[in-house]
Amino acid sequence: MRMLSLNQVAWMTALGLGACTTTSPAPDLRAEAAAQEADERSEAGLMDHHRHQHRGGVMQFIAMGLDTLDEGDAQRPQVQQLQRDMYVCMASSGEIQKRLHLTIAEGIAAGAVDLAKIDGIIGELDAAGGAVRDCSVAALDKLHALLNPSERAELVEKVQAHYEVWLSVNHEEEGTGRGRAGRLTRLAKDLSLTPDQVERMSAALHTALAGRGGKFDRTRFEAVVQEFSQTFVGASFDAKATLPYANARLGMHGASRMAIFYETVTPMLSPPQRAALAEQLRQHAGHHPDVSAN
Amino acid sequence: MTRTLVQLSKGALLAGAIAGCLASSPAQAQVEIRFSSPPAWYIATNRPVYYEGRPSYWYGNRWHYREGRAWRQYRDEPRYLRDYRGRHRGDRHYYGRDRHGGYRH
Repeated sequence: MRMLSLNQVAWMTALGLGACTTTSPAPDLRAEAAAQEADERSEAGLMDHHRHQHRGGVMQFIAMGLDTLDEGDAQRPQVQQLQRDMYVCMASSGEIQKRLHLTIAEGIAAGAVDLAKIDGIIGELDAAGGAVRDCSVAALDKLHALLNPSERAELVEKVQAHYEVWLSVNHEEEGTGRGRAGRLTRLAKDLSLTPDQVERMSAALHTALAGRGGKFDRTRFEAVVQEFSQTFVGASFDAKATLPYANARLGMHGASRMAIFYETVTPMLSPPQRAALAEQLRQHAGHHPDVSAN
Repeated sequence: MTRTLVQLSKGALLAGAIAGCLASSPAQAQVEIRFSSPPAWYIATNRPVYYEGRPSYWYGNRWHYREGRAWRQYRDEPRYLRDYRGRHRGDRHYYGRDRHGGYRH
C-alpha cells in the first residue's frame, strides 16, 4: 500500500486553509478596537455609578434595569412614567446623598473627612430608604402588570446583574480595595497614585474596613434579590409583600463603605490629588437620574 | 487496491479540510451550543434584541441568549440578528459621574 507523502499532506492542508481564508470575513480591527474601548468605558462607568449612587437598594436596581429593557414601543411611554415615579420616590434619599457627597468633598479638600458627621448623614439615608420602598410599591405593581413574561424575566436578569456589579465594587472580600473592581484601583488610575501611596492606602483600608465587613449580611441581601426575582417573573405579584425594608439597607452599606474609603485615603493624598478628588465627589453630588431616553 | 486507498485518503483529507472550514464559516447551518454568559456589567448596560421571543445579546462576536437559567449562543448568526446588527451600532446605556443619569449610544 502506498501512503501519502508529506508533500501531498501539506498541499491538501494548504488547499483547505486557503479555502477557509477566502470564505471567512476579514476582522475589522478598527471596529473591534472601538468596541473594546466602548466596553471598557461602559463597565468603568457602571462601576463608578454603583460605588457612589446609593439611593434605594433593590428599587434603584429595578429603575436602572428599565434603562436597557427592550419593552415594546407601545409600552415605552408607560414604562418611562413608572421609572419616573420610582425616581421621584428616591428624590428624598437623593437629596441626602447629595449632602453626603458634598460633605465628603469638603473633607477631602480640607485634608480630613469627619466620619462622625458623615455617619449622621448615612443614618438619615438609611431611614429614607424605607420611605423609598413604601413609595415605590405601587409603581412596581403596575410595572409587573404592564410587562410580558419575557420582559419580566429580562428585568429580573438586569436587577441581578446590577446587584452583582454593586457587590463587586462595594464588598471586596479582602477589604483592601485593590481588586479589579476595587475603589483603590480606580482611584490609582484617576489620580495617578504612586506605588508607595497605593501600598500605604491598601494597608490602611484593610484595617479600616475589616471591622465593618461583618456588618454586611450578604446571605440576607441575596435572599432579598432572589425573592424579588422569583416572584416578579410569576403571573401574580405583590410588591408590598415581596420587598422587605431590608432591601434599602444595601444603600446604607454602600454609602458607608464609600465614606470609610475616602476618610482613610484622604490623609495620604497630595493637595492637587485632594483637589481633583473633591471635584469628582462634587460631580457625583450633581448626579440626577434621568428617565431613560431608550 | 493501492490506488483506491490513496484516492480514499485524499478524499478524506479534503473532506476534513472542507468540513473544518465550514465549521467556521457563516454559511453553516444554525447550531446552538452552550457557552459562557456575557458578564453582569454587559447585561446591565446593554439593550437586548428579541429574537424568537428571547432576549439576545451580542457579546464577544456572538449572540447569546438564555434558555431557562442556562446561557447558550448561536454558533451561526441568524439572519434577523445579523440584519439588526447591520442597522444598529449597539444599544448601550452609559453611567458614571459625567453622565448625569446616563445616555444612550
